[in-house]
Order: sequence, then structure tokens, then C-alpha cells
Amino acid sequence: MGRATAGVTAQERRAEVDFALIGHQETWRSASDVLAVLRGAERARLPDEEIREIFPWIPPRAVCNVEVASATSATARGLYIDCFIPPDHLDCEYIHDNLGRVRAAAACAINRGARIVSLGGFSSILIEGNFDQLSERTDTIFTTGNTLTVAFIVQGMRKMCALEGRELSKSTLLIVGATGDVGSGCAHCLAPLVKRLVLLARNANRLRTLAAELEADGTDVEIATCIEQVPFAADIVICAASLPSPSLQLRCIAPTAIICDAGYPKNLNPRGTMDGARVFFGGLGQISGGLSFMPDFKGVLNRHPFPDVAHGCLLEGMVLALARRFEPFSHGRGFITRERVEEIEALAAQHGIHLAPLYNAEGPLEIMGTSKPQDSALSHRTNPRSVIHLELDEEPSIRI
Amino acid sequence: MESLVSVNCPQPVVCNSPLPTASIWQDILAQAVTGELMAAMNYRALSTICDDPEEVAEALEHAQGEQGHAAAFAAEGRKIGVDVPNNVNARYWRRIRESFMRSIAERDFMACLIVQEIMLESFAVASYTRVGKAGPGSLGKTFAAIAAEEEEHIDHALDILRSERARDPERFDDKVYRLHLDVMTTLTEMVAKECRHGQCDLCHSNCVKPSLSEVGLTTVELRGASLQQYLKSLDALGLPGEVTLQWVAQLPV
Repeated sequence: MGRATAGVTAQERRAEVDFALIGHQETWRSASDVLAVLRGAERARLPDEEIREIFPWIPPRAVCNVEVASATSATARGLYIDCFIPPDHLDCEYIHDNLGRVRAAAACAINRGARIVSLGGFSSILIEGNFDQLSERTDTIFTTGNTLTVAFIVQGMRKMCALEGRELSKSTLLIVGATGDVGSGCAHCLAPLVKRLVLLARNANRLRTLAAELEADGTDVEIATCIEQVPFAADIVICAASLPSPSLQLRCIAPTAIICDAGYPKNLNPRGTMDGARVFFGGLGQISGGLSFMPDFKGVLNRHPFPDVAHGCLLEGMVLALARRFEPFSHGRGFITRERVEEIEALAAQHGIHLAPLYNAEGPLEIMGTSKPQDSALSHRTNPRSVIHLELDEEPSIRI
Repeated sequence: MESLVSVNCPQPVVCNSPLPTASIWQDILAQAVTGELMAAMNYRALSTICDDPEEVAEALEHAQGEQGHAAAFAAEGRKIGVDVPNNVNARYWRRIRESFMRSIAERDFMACLIVQEIMLESFAVASYTRVGKAGPGSLGKTFAAIAAEEEEHIDHALDILRSERARDPERFDDKVYRLHLDVMTTLTEMVAKECRHGQCDLCHSNCVKPSLSEVGLTTVELRGASLQQYLKSLDALGLPGEVTLQWVAQLPV
């Protein structure tokens, strides 16, 4: 595609925006990589100090164009919009500033005429159930994307249990962040499949309400408002809490527990010691038809060791755009049901969007068919640990 | 109206102020007075390429307004016991003036508006607003009041420029990009954390930048707020955010 002097091609000007993805950077490293791509390879990378000084001043805005291709050969065009929330400003202290940034990002999506907007990470949390807080309601539809995230978490957990030879029906499942939209969705989907469910969240009232719903369906449920109260050593764990940084230290779990870290940002403290636990990053899907960015942010905006992988929350908007179903599929909190999960799962599969290969901070956890670790737009700068290939008979030593 | 400030008065420095930070405010005011005088000169030059008598009158009115701002800043200096110098030939200001005058030579009215209203005024509004919050007494109030007036100028120019862009967005954006490379490179060097290329020819002794924290300001904040305002002005013009972000990311640091 030829580029005009100003970097705006006529084609870009005319492009329809089927979807917009709103997100934010989880680490200063990723923020630095984003600015490095924008500066171009011919310019020196900005020093870390400069990044930390400049980044907070950038108004929420589109960063790049995105194109997604379906297995059915349909395509959808969109934008990635970053809130430019400084990665160390994700805690409660900055909630008003962050809410303002999410609103501005939403306004940006509306101004660009996006037909559907997926809200990634904190952007979903900040306006879950508060869509009327958006600056202006137009024909642009918003979805939190949480239903597809739940679908991929559940699929991932089932796959990991199968790989490890564990039976879900004999397992105690602990859900951290159980009363959140994703946590409660996982609880509804997995309750019929496990022996016992332990729900962990800070809000006791919400916990009791959720537990009552699940118990009514015959599930054995325990609740806890802090990790020390967890009554059973869980053998499988889903971490879906809204944490500003990876800081969760799990105690009271089985030494060989399977743990799905589905946080965005990640939940688990990377320095936590849980020798023997099997950790994987959950809630991720892979697009078989391909995902492209312009400028090329491959491996920078989607920092995964496999190509065309993204968070389920962002993928949901793309799936709905490919299906031309511009509707608020996931909205509010606590409305994710097994039926809705199956529906979005089937829609995603129809467009060639499936569970991503399982991996964690150490690298892939399974031998992939055709999925090869991806080259990043900044591949020479990525952590080599993230592209380690493991053989099936190789026991990865996972430390989190 | 008789001008209360004459151009290029790098006067001998007199600082008999009881205010301990007066010499810092003197340097800040020197930049503001110089910027306003240059704006007045730019509007006068602009009046020479306007065909419509109404546009001529409006440009001259703007020039007079900017001259008034310069006088107001100089008066604030006197209130704290300092004489405020100015120098439109100072290192960065001269380069900006030359860029503007190239557009005048090309009789490109829109280019002149883009430089003056979108680039220079964005920086003025953002930095005056910050200084307005940090400045003591009437000095702070004057900066805040002038920031509000300059913001109105931007809004007015945006209406004209948006109409122009609607006619031919590609051509318009190419023009903005060309001017961005020319003018914004200089403005970014001007608000960099350090003046690496030597004196700016306005600070009365050493560079004022390291001392700004003594009056509650930082170069990081002034630079960040200025670039943010510039991006917002470009957004208001309708330029795609992903493109203007790339422009700004590629500026020198």
C-alpha cells in the first residue's frame, strides 16, 4: 500500500471501521515497544525515563489499523485505540483519571464510526454495567468481550486438565475474582463439571448471591473473602481478579495445582513460589485467517509467543464484526451464561477463531500443529524465554 | 494604541525584587513576551496577504491583541520588580519566524493559520495554563486569562481550517505534515528538558529550565502538556489520531 507524505493514504481515509479495540499497555516494556514502532526503526529508541515522562501525556487515540480475516474468507477492518494509561497507574488511586481516559478512547471509537467496540482489560472493568457513562451514545455498539474470554478460559482449563491427565469431576476449583463478570461466568460454566467450587472475592454480599445461585443448581460451593479463608486445597485455579499488577500470591492450593492466569494485567506474582504448580495464561484465542496491523505492531500489541493470538475480550468484537452482528453481546456484570458462551464459541469457530495454544511465561506448553512461534515487529528485542519450544516429554520447570 | 513593549529589548537585567524567585519568573516572562510579540508580527505579516478587507482588519486586530498580551506580561514583571527583556531573534524564535515567513512568501494563508494557531497557540495555551496555576498572585491570573483568550483564537481558526480540510483532506494533511516537520521540530527542541545546543538567547544568565521546579513547574510537564494540546488540536481538525501520534513520536527528544 503506497503511503502519502503525511502518512495518510486515500484508502485509509475512506476505510470503514467495522470494529475498534480499546486497550492499554500492561508494562512499561510494552509501552516502550509501542513508541519504538511509532518512531520507526531508523530512529533511536527513547530512553526509559523519557517514555515514563511522555506516555502519560498522550491523549487516548487510535494507534494502528487492524485487519482480521475469517476462515470463511470474510474480512473486517478496525482500529486499535490505546487509553495510554501509564502501566503503573492501574490501581484505585487513579480510577477517575483512568475512567476519563476510557471515555475519551470510547469517544474516539465513536468519532471514527466504529460499528462495534471491544473493551480490553481495565477499560471493560471501568465501564462494566455503566454504559450510560459514555460521552455520547450513537450507532456504535459496545461489548466488554467477556463472554468469549470465559469461553477460552473454560476451553483452556479443560485442555490443560486433559494434557495433565486430571479429571475435572474429581477436582476442587478455586476462582479468584469470582464475582467479577469473567469470574462469575467461569463459575456458571464450570460448576456442573467439578466436584467442588470455592469462590474467592472481596465483596461478601455478591459472593453469597453467586453461591446461592450455584447451590440452587446443585453445586457444592464454599466462599472466602481472602485467600487465608479458602477452606480446601484447590487442585485447579482460575485467576480472574482485577488487579493493577501481577501481585497475587496463592496459598492453600494443592502443590501440583493447575492454575489459569486469565488477568489483563496478569494476576500472579512472577516471584511467587509454587514449585510443582502448572500455570497457563488463559482467555486467549488464535485467528486462523490472520491478523494484521498497520503500522506493523505484530508481537508488540499482541505479545504472545504464537502468531495472531489475542485476548478473548478483544476477539469478541472481531468475531461479531466478521459475523456482521453489531450487538452488545457482553454487557453489564453477571449475565454470562453457559448458553451465551456456547453461542459466541460457535460463532468464533465459524470464523476460524479458536483457543490459542497454551503457554506461560516460560514458553509453550504443548506441541502445536501448524502454529509456529511468531516473529515480532521488534523480535530482536523480545524476551527469548517467550519463544522456547518444549517437547512433549520435556517437563517444564515452572516458577511463578 | 501605543505599544507598551518594543521588539528586541534585551535590556540590562534589573532584579531588585523582594520575591526570591523573581529571576526565574523574569526568564519565564521573557519567553512569553517574545512569543506574544512574534505572534503580533506574524498577524501583521498575515494582513499583507489577505485579499478580503475584513480579513485584513481581523488580522490586524489579532496583532493588536497579541501586542496587548506582551504588554500585560511585561507589566507583571514590573509588579515583581523585574524588567522583562524580549528577543524575537533568539535562537528558536528566529527559526520559527523564518518558517512562518516562508508561508507568507508563498502567500499561503492556511499554512500561516496552521503554524500560528495550531502549533504556536497550542504550545502557548498549554504552557500558559500550567504557569497560570503555579504563578503567584496577579502574575498567575494574567497567564491563565491570556491562556483562555488564546484558546478562543484556536477555536476560531479551527472552524476555518476544518472547512479547508473538508475540500481536500489529503492535500491539507500533507501541508500540515510539511509544516509540522519544520515548525514542531524547533518547538520541541525549545521545550526539551535541556537546551543541548547552548543558550536560547533569552534567559538572563544560566538556562532557567533546571530552576523551574522552584516555582512549581517542570520542563516535563510543560513539554507534555504542550504536545498533548497540539495533538488535541490536530484531532479537532479531523486528522487521524494514529497518524498524528506517529508524527509526534518521531519528533526529536
